Amino acid sequence: MSDDVMRFFAAWMLTHEVADEGLKAAVLRGSGQVQGGMAADGPDAFVDGLAAMVAQRKEALKAELAAGSVAAATADEQKVVFDELRFEVAEMRGRIDEVQGTLETILAKLEAAGPARG
Amino acid sequence: MVVSARSRHITAVFAKRWLAGVWHSRFGLGGTARRRAAFAREWRLAFAELGPAFIKLGQLISVRPEEFPRELVAEMAVMQDSVSPLPASVIRRVVFEEFGRTPEQLFASFDDTPIASASIAQVHGAVLAHDVHPVWGETMPAGTEVVLKVVRPGAAEAVLGDLAEARRLLDAARRLGMLKDMDLHALLDEFEDSVVRELDLRVEAHIADRFAFDFRGDPKVEVPRVVWRTTTRRVLTMERMYGWRLTDLDDAAKEGIDGRALAIYGATAFMRQVMLHGRYHADLHPANLFVTPRNTIAYLDFGIVGHLTKTEREDIAQVLAGMVYRDAGRALRYSERLGVHVPAEKVAVVTRELGELLDSMLGSEGPRDFRHFGLGFLSLLRRHGVEIPTGYGLLVKSLATVEGCARSLYPDIDIMDVARPFVTQLIGESLGRPELLQERVERAFRAAMRELVA
Ligand SMILES: Nc1ncnc2c1ncn2[C@@H]1O[C@H](COP(=O)(O)OP(=O)(O)O)[C@@H](O)[C@H]1O
Repeated sequence: MSDDVMRFFAAWMLTHEVADEGLKAAVLRGSGQVQGGMAADGPDAFVDGLAAMVAQRKEALKAELAAGSVAAATADEQKVVFDELRFEVAEMRGRIDEVQGTLETILAKLEAAGPARG
Repeated sequence: MVVSARSRHITAVFAKRWLAGVWHSRFGLGGTARRRAAFAREWRLAFAELGPAFIKLGQLISVRPEEFPRELVAEMAVMQDSVSPLPASVIRRVVFEEFGRTPEQLFASFDDTPIASASIAQVHGAVLAHDVHPVWGETMPAGTEVVLKVVRPGAAEAVLGDLAEARRLLDAARRLGMLKDMDLHALLDEFEDSVVRELDLRVEAHIADRFAFDFRGDPKVEVPRVVWRTTTRRVLTMERMYGWRLTDLDDAAKEGIDGRALAIYGATAFMRQVMLHGRYHADLHPANLFVTPRNTIAYLDFGIVGHLTKTEREDIAQVLAGMVYRDAGRALRYSERLGVHVPAEKVAVVTRELGELLDSMLGSEGPRDFRHFGLGFLSLLRRHGVEIPTGYGLLVKSLATVEGCARSLYPDIDIMDVARPFVTQLIGESLGRPELLQERVERAFRAAMRELVA
């Protein structure tokens, strides 16, 4: 799961919180970009941006840990799967509506053609 | 060979327009620019005169600046797809053929005056007689206003017949050296695809449902709900949307809306389509978007949808990252994976030129101009003989259109800024793909070992 990777990075950053001055500087530079400020240029700016994004995740993770609600993410994932299922079922209902419409059309045409025999 | 009346007519129209072009360019003495402009204009008039198939073809040409002469692209872009409306009786007949019932038997009311009339379909208003439970979204109670999009009778046959003719003509035009060397077959195949799709409105209805679902959590994006009970191949019934088209936003309309927020929102919504859903509205057009009095964006017309796999999305994110962060090498490396093959001996020069283009067009001063950059990039590739895959060109063009739409709401928007967080996030996520990790972690590990034993 790709979202897990961001969590992984965030967790890594959390456990290394005091360690890496270079990373902290990158986060500082990058957070300007994430907030929609003017970006610096070049490949390094991209790393800064990524670092800032991971740092945001880190803060979220910290809050989650503090609140003891780390399992919440999986509930979200479940919701996505259920939503997809709900949509598939809803689409089937749409098909049935369409078929029902077709039946009504056939009926209307038969009635117009004259009274049914039998 | 059988020459049909239609075929003769088409040839006659082109001959007439060609002569007019010769006249307007002062028999070729007016200079190259003048000649090209004059002929482009005549091509457009010929296409408009020849009807639906040619109008659609013209629209396709208008989004291919990298393949067709600039003058022609500009002319085709102004071609309007509006034709004189069919009388209501004709539309009523189609409804009766499709449903065996009159519009009054199907709906509480039906409006004989069309809302819009385009080359393939005509749109009429109606009111629901019963509650309708759509595939996605809230129930539409009886009394809800809807529209019926009805395919013009004979449109299918006319279009398919003209398609064959168009193939013949484009081939002839190429033999006469009137068009640059280009992938005609891809163009015509795509054209046939889009026309055939448009002739079955159920396809569009399915896409509308899917978009409604994709944007379910998004109160700012609206998609018309489909009434499947009264939808067939030739008739699409959907919720009626009210608002202003981006093309006719006047000052009064602008007063009532938050242009800046909507522009950013609309551009963000597009990035989400491309980067997260992998399904994007490739037929975006200022006339297909409404801004509503509720300060939301409503999408209309789901004719052409681009599809992207997860891997493609990641590669696109990398290309965009290359653009956002002005890293030409990255942009090209990942473009390669999307089918843009720069021959090895040209990589250096193309990278350098792309770098220059990035610096001049997407430098940090003021809002950056993606449209000019995108078109410049495509023509740079062309100039070096690099073939551009259809999907790649379509995406660049779609991004440019999004920028255009957003600018009509808020002239200072910078869509590269809008793209940045998406790009960064998607790349961040893709770094964790097992095969990538395996490869990189091992390399990093070896490097570390080498450090240690040094
Ligand atoms: N759901 C709708 N509510 C209100 N107007 C609509 C709706 N759908 C289409 N229209 C009107 O009809 C016009 C043409 O519809 P569109 O779907 O773009 O047809 P085409 O694909 O033939 O161009 C739109 O520009 C708009 O004015």
